[in-house]
Amino acid sequence: MRELKKSTIEVPELVGTIILFEIGSTTLYMIGSKAKQDAWLAMSIAASIGLVLALLYLAIYYRDPERDLFELFRHYLGKRLGTVISLSFVVYFAYEASRVLRDMGELTTLILLNKTPLFIIMLLTVIVVGNTVRYGARVLFLTCLALIPIMILSYLFLGTMIVGTGLVEYEQIMPVLEHGWEPIWNATVPIVAFPFGQLVLFLVFFPLVKEKRRFRSPVIISYILVSLFLIVFNQMNFLVLGSYIADKSTIPLLQVIQLIEIIDVFERMDVLFVLILFMGIGIKMAAFFVGAVTGLQKITGIGLKKWVIPLGIMIYAASFLSPNYSHHIWLGLEKLPLMFLIFQIAMPLLLFIIMLAHRKPNTRYRKA
Amino acid sequence: MSIFRRSKKTDKQMKTITNERELGPSEDDEAALSSSLSDTISILRSRIGLSSDFIIRELGDKIAISYIEGLVDQKQLSELIEALIAGHAQFSSFTHDPAEHLKSIIPIGGIHAANTVGLLLTAILSGEAVVVIDGLPGAITVSISGGIRRSVQEPSSQTVVRGPKEGFTEEISTNIALLRNKLRTPELRIVNRTIGRYTQTKVAVIYIEGLANPEVLDELFIRLDSIDTDSVLESGYIEEFIQDKTFSPFPTMINTERPDAIAGNLLEGQVAVMVDGTPFVLVLPVTFFKFFQSSEDYYQRYDITSFLRIIRLFSFFIALFLPSIYIAVTTFQQEMLPTTLLISLAAQREGTPLPALLEALLMEITFEVIREAGVRMPRVIGPAISIVGALVLGQAAVQAGLVSGAMVIVVSFTAIASFVMPNFNMASAVRLIRFGLMLLAGVFGLFGILAGAVPILVHVVSLSSFGVPYFTPFAPLRFSNLKDTVIRVPWRAMKTRPSSISVQNKVRQSTFNKRNKESEGE
Repeated sequence: MRELKKSTIEVPELVGTIILFEIGSTTLYMIGSKAKQDAWLAMSIAASIGLVLALLYLAIYYRDPERDLFELFRHYLGKRLGTVISLSFVVYFAYEASRVLRDMGELTTLILLNKTPLFIIMLLTVIVVGNTVRYGARVLFLTCLALIPIMILSYLFLGTMIVGTGLVEYEQIMPVLEHGWEPIWNATVPIVAFPFGQLVLFLVFFPLVKEKRRFRSPVIISYILVSLFLIVFNQMNFLVLGSYIADKSTIPLLQVIQLIEIIDVFERMDVLFVLILFMGIGIKMAAFFVGAVTGLQKITGIGLKKWVIPLGIMIYAASFLSPNYSHHIWLGLEKLPLMFLIFQIAMPLLLFIIMLAHRKPNTRYRKA
Repeated sequence: MSIFRRSKKTDKQMKTITNERELGPSEDDEAALSSSLSDTISILRSRIGLSSDFIIRELGDKIAISYIEGLVDQKQLSELIEALIAGHAQFSSFTHDPAEHLKSIIPIGGIHAANTVGLLLTAILSGEAVVVIDGLPGAITVSISGGIRRSVQEPSSQTVVRGPKEGFTEEISTNIALLRNKLRTPELRIVNRTIGRYTQTKVAVIYIEGLANPEVLDELFIRLDSIDTDSVLESGYIEEFIQDKTFSPFPTMINTERPDAIAGNLLEGQVAVMVDGTPFVLVLPVTFFKFFQSSEDYYQRYDITSFLRIIRLFSFFIALFLPSIYIAVTTFQQEMLPTTLLISLAAQREGTPLPALLEALLMEITFEVIREAGVRMPRVIGPAISIVGALVLGQAAVQAGLVSGAMVIVVSFTAIASFVMPNFNMASAVRLIRFGLMLLAGVFGLFGILAGAVPILVHVVSLSSFGVPYFTPFAPLRFSNLKDTVIRVPWRAMKTRPSSISVQNKVRQSTFNKRNKESEGE
């Protein structure tokens, strides 16, 4: 019997996925805590750099809209070198997925299931996400589109509640540039790597979009909107908690939510909100997972579904690399970002330069 | 999985076989009839056998008439016999094409020539009378079918407050007539198939030419023609054969016994499959949100309808999640509850022996048993069961301290919410999934519910019904189709058909102009 015949995705799905993906686990962390109350400045700079990166990724795509990330490298850098780079991207994506998995597990043990062992929660998570990956990119993107109304409504509700119950102290944003520009510059680089530069993953998905050449502005607009949203919510943590608590808290946003109190009934909304956070986190993990699986499929030619279980086991194993959560956060927010930037900036830039040198852009798509 | 893959292949191989032996288990159906009366009669006798209701009546030594007693209309039969006796003398002058001659003397429509044994048998078994004349090749079939029929009644499974009160019956020709009465357009097409080697069931595919998607139709006919089975007793057989995915609790076809619902669906470009012998007609392709629509939605005011649809979706979530949320919150996330509620719940649960998960499972299973008993039991025992169900299992169980009162409320509300859905299929899917979610909630709390809900969502999104994605118009997004999903816009704003189903002839109506605009302004 006929299955879903098309594996193409449409622009609304792409936009929805970018939004969910960027929100992902970002709201979990205190981004730019080094810059203290100037985190918004650091984040804005990082988001602008991320915008340039997004434009670079789009430029790469428009230069050769037929090939995805892995095929591009293998085509322009030669089969051997391209395969090595593609494999390193697979490892990178898989590692990002494992990081998100750990986030999810830690969050669950912290808020929902204090006594359940971490490895069981993460096993369940990796099974649920792996099941999603099994359906392929199209179903993942459709799922994002189905989830996006819930996400938007709940974040809107949350924002209204935080502002409406008078928790925000706007004067906390002062003094601007208390310690000069230096802490801001220091904070910016990791923010580029997480979350904004992670958009490099979408080089895998762009060629699946049905309406070729029609999605540059939707992508850019959704990127800008989601960046603004992240900056506002991140800054809200500072404005509510003050920079000292915000810096020390494990999951500051949840602490903010716990402060909300309306008519006795809605007291512990953080528990409910964790579920909303999970959706973003799960989507992010699934997207990286699909990216890695697609890479393996493109490199080896073996079907996507066959890679889900082996890679799932690897991601599951990799998520135990950090002995504890503090180490995990330190690794992700301070140690590794520079390495991530290789994948997010250096490699795509290299690819783009080589593509320019090739000088034979795909003429078939020029006319459109 | 591999078993089913193999069966797909064999389906294709079977297709050719089916076409060859359209008529049942015997091989010599293709044999032509001889011109001898006695030969034909002996063939019929040997094939149908000594069944007491099979009648061969010889009128003199030249003509015989054969039929099955209960399947023909007695009045028409006597008219036929009268005409045959009166016209007896003319028959010797027939040389060729006896059917044409008979048409001029018999006052009954539907006269055809049958040249093979197979055609003859089909005619007799579907309630026609067969006239055989000695010396002429072949036989003549006269359509006088009648016999027992249920009259058109109000549908029992889908009731409405406002709207037509007629429902389909078991007779396919009556059902088609009901539909023709509603759609007086020459574009209404009815294509017949006969499926089932023993049952020879008539299956009619009904659509409106120019509205239905030709791709869907092609796919439907391919799937229908690849069915090779011995029997089709209800449209459920067909549904299982032609659905897109076997392993799914979610139905990808709607069944209804309301002609007005079918007419509305056909006008949106959907296709109906009608099966003889059942009032339930299949509609395809469908999307998830179609299961929350009732034909009454279009007869009521749009604002009421929109409200009711939101209520239905809400009930869907209640029916799916309420018991598991109760389990998760009382077992793991007590801090979510307001203090007063928590205290009252704790006081109730103090005396009960079972953990919340087991208590909920027990009550849900009890409810399912009561419900199944309510459907199967003889009607006369009904009151007894309701007393046992309501008093003994509800009130007495709480008083005896077996279950908590809150649990009874949760289970009852869940049960009632699952009846709100206009389509019973979807309610059944929810019943099944609910148990899985309850188990997950009992082990992992809210996290478990999410871990169960995500695969369900992913599965629903991945489904398709005859190539139409199940979760449209939300994912993939079809903005113009949102007008008739969660809410229903006023009729004058429904300018286009749902584009995911109907690919051609999209415009439904011209812009509505109020002629009496001036008078309204006053």
